[in-house]
Amino acid sequence: MRVSTRQVQKQNTRKKIMETAYSVISNKGFSVPSSVIAEEAGISHGSIFAHFPTMNDLLNNLLSDFGDKMGARLHMLAKKSDSVDNLLKEHLKVLEEYEAFYSRLISEKNRLPDEAKTTFAVIQSTLALHFSNVIEREISKGTVRKLPTHMLFNTWLGLVHYYLMNKDFFSDGNESVIKNYGPELLSFYLKMIKNERGVYE
Amino acid sequence: MKTCIACGMPMEDISDFAGNDPGKDYCVHCARPDGEMQSFEEKRENLASFIVRTQGFNENAARKIAEDMMRKLPAWKDYFC
Repeated sequence: MRVSTRQVQKQNTRKKIMETAYSVISNKGFSVPSSVIAEEAGISHGSIFAHFPTMNDLLNNLLSDFGDKMGARLHMLAKKSDSVDNLLKEHLKVLEEYEAFYSRLISEKNRLPDEAKTTFAVIQSTLALHFSNVIEREISKGTVRKLPTHMLFNTWLGLVHYYLMNKDFFSDGNESVIKNYGPELLSFYLKMIKNERGVYE
Repeated sequence: MKTCIACGMPMEDISDFAGNDPGKDYCVHCARPDGEMQSFEEKRENLASFIVRTQGFNENAARKIAEDMMRKLPAWKDYFC
């Protein structure tokens, strides 16, 4: 089917709005007014509403798109990881790639539409699938301490999220927290969970 | 690349597909032991108990999240009309 020039323009404008919203929200947070997104995108304010009738429609589309992209990326990298060390290294890589938007999402999630919770859960469940496969294998081999999977998972996320949510204390300006602190967080976490003495608890 | 119609997982390798069959639209995690796709109720309960086991959520919250995740997937669209 032939796509008319008008339809192509419409799709391009929609894409431009989504990309601009992603970058503006990454810098300024989710409470940014739609007029700022329109100005940054170089389009009229009314044009945003022609594509997304409400700000929630725009946010829901953006969050769903983000969850799918980050989830797929995590899945691809995590799938090849054969040890908890490698899996968490890959997790840090993905977080660094999406750091600004992801930090906004975890900091502001409770004030956002329900879609934000689903997006958050999709991302974490993808990670939890690979994490539980790898960690349960390591526990049965005796290389990781015998602790509940959900506590091992939540301790790792709690640690990483604390640094991301308090970015202003841990980095200067726009520096990546994950780049600067990721190796230290990973090495500390592994020291806590590894069964170094080979004792099966 | 295909994604599972029942859970959204990307299916890249043959081992990702139910019964190692790339013709299938659902993944190994969404198949019953006999190879058929799990029902809506089975998938919701499996997803919720997976979330509780791996992330420690409260059971009701896990079931709600499981439904929200399923809402977006083609296999379950008739359940959310």
